[in-house]
Amino acid sequence: MSAGEQKKSCEEIAELLMFYACDELQEQERSKVEEHVAVCEACRKQLAEEREFQKTIELLPHAADELDRAGLLLSQCRSELAEKLDDLGRPAVKEKVARFGWFRGWMILHPAWSAAALVMLGLVAGTQYSQWSSRPNQGTAPEQAMNVRPSARLTDDQLSKMDVAGINFTPSPYAGSKNVRVRLNTEQPMELDGNLDDSNVRSVLTFVVKNGERFDSGMRLDCLDALKTHAEDSEVRSALLAAARKDQNPAVRLKALEALRDAGIDSTVRQALLEALQHDSNPGVRVEAVNLLVRSLEQAPSEQLAPMLPNTIEMPAVPMIQAATRNGTSEGSIENVIQALENLQHSDPSRYVRLRSAAALREISARNDQ
Amino acid sequence: MSLPRWALAFADESGQTSNSDSALASVTSLASLEERVLVEQAQAGSRPAFEELVRRYDRDVLRLALNLMKRTEDARDVYQEAFLKVYRNLHRFRFECSFYTWLYRIVTNVCLDHLRRRQARPEDQAPESYATQFEEAGGDFFERQREYRATLDPERTLLGLEIKKRLAVAMERLSPRERVVFEMKHYQGLKLRAIGDALGTSEETVKNSLFRATRKLRSELGVLR
Repeated sequence: MSAGEQKKSCEEIAELLMFYACDELQEQERSKVEEHVAVCEACRKQLAEEREFQKTIELLPHAADELDRAGLLLSQCRSELAEKLDDLGRPAVKEKVARFGWFRGWMILHPAWSAAALVMLGLVAGTQYSQWSSRPNQGTAPEQAMNVRPSARLTDDQLSKMDVAGINFTPSPYAGSKNVRVRLNTEQPMELDGNLDDSNVRSVLTFVVKNGERFDSGMRLDCLDALKTHAEDSEVRSALLAAARKDQNPAVRLKALEALRDAGIDSTVRQALLEALQHDSNPGVRVEAVNLLVRSLEQAPSEQLAPMLPNTIEMPAVPMIQAATRNGTSEGSIENVIQALENLQHSDPSRYVRLRSAAALREISARNDQ
Repeated sequence: MSLPRWALAFADESGQTSNSDSALASVTSLASLEERVLVEQAQAGSRPAFEELVRRYDRDVLRLALNLMKRTEDARDVYQEAFLKVYRNLHRFRFECSFYTWLYRIVTNVCLDHLRRRQARPEDQAPESYATQFEEAGGDFFERQREYRATLDPERTLLGLEIKKRLAVAMERLSPRERVVFEMKHYQGLKLRAIGDALGTSEETVKNSLFRATRKLRSELGVLR
């Protein structure tokens, strides 16, 4: 190789050495470099310098380690970003399908035709509308009017999404029930003001009672207290029964039973009472169930307990109740309650419940003797 | 050199990975599956999902911003601007690449814009830069630089400090693109093709930028060796 060729070759290789050192060459170029440095001392030295430079760079600490050693900057950045996002509100949501996308594209490409088409469309629509609007109203009008009217009642969806910020109860000098002011945090915050005769107010209070796990027990108790004057309403009654059966707080269950007592006791309520008697973990609630059952027998001695049979399978007295019901006697329901009370009198873990059951049995016995 | 997640992401997508093994690939695919759900939720307007995405990647974003900008205030601005851009434009993300590849592109371009703006304002170049910090931080340098301290060679340690100082000053003299390319190649460990992809330019352009940057830095440091 002549000196001139050697120089030209070194110049070519010199441009590749840096990329060779940082592994950015294709296989063919790599081989070329390797073959050249094997015979060229100067280029071999230059390659060693390139490698040393890159090694030095890699050994140097990163600016990030120097500038934020404690990692405080990251938490500051996060807080600032959260604040900015609060100020921004919701971002644009991804569009699933671009509606009439092809038509828009066509309109952009053909502006003159688009303008003409829009003018024609306007003319046709205007002519048709004037003909249509001059016709007399036909039979579909009432339905259209109903659709336009907004619904005043809170929907189930609104109720399920709501968060009750607060409920204030104030005694009303005119009405039998309390005035209630409810502040709701729904998608759009709202405030309801009225008494229990207002269906929206009732809906909110019954929703709170029915969905106890979402609201605090103090609020549930307040709602139950307000609702007890309207326990005859089927929606309210169903909420009271749900609370008496399922609420986690015994005070709320007790309050629900009291509210049901004021409403008069039918077969569904008796069913709830017997369930409480058998399964409630709180002795106070069981005692209240005993009281209410005794009272129900006093109020309606001839009423049948048959409707509650399918749901009382776990009760020890079931065979006896079924037999009594088959006989068609009113004594069956009394015997059913008596059997439940006798079980309670002997096996209830609470002494007070056992005593109260014994006293209840004596009261029933005395009433039967009269 | 341990590669950041960015590097692995770009390596996977550009098909030039030499670092990822099969175990890593399976972990990556599981993570990306979960990530897709998060991105979809965020696209549907879920703020918690967006915040989870931020928490996953913001450490890397801030680190990259600090390394590129060399100033805490600028890195902070880049962090905010990049994530706000992501927030506003997330509905346009079509899963044609992984989310963090997309995020990385946004971050590097925001950095590039900031560097260009900084260069256009001469009064904004000197103060509080990474370069000037070395002169002030000389006292605790020995506590921080394990690789130099380990040699127990005062001459070498001083040389290291001098190299850092010179390099920081020399970096300020690079063009914004040269600086970003150099940083992404040597500190982030990315391939030139991946850098071009992130910056929206050709591999050839990136190659030229890296060549010029390296030449400038080497001539700046050459007198020390």
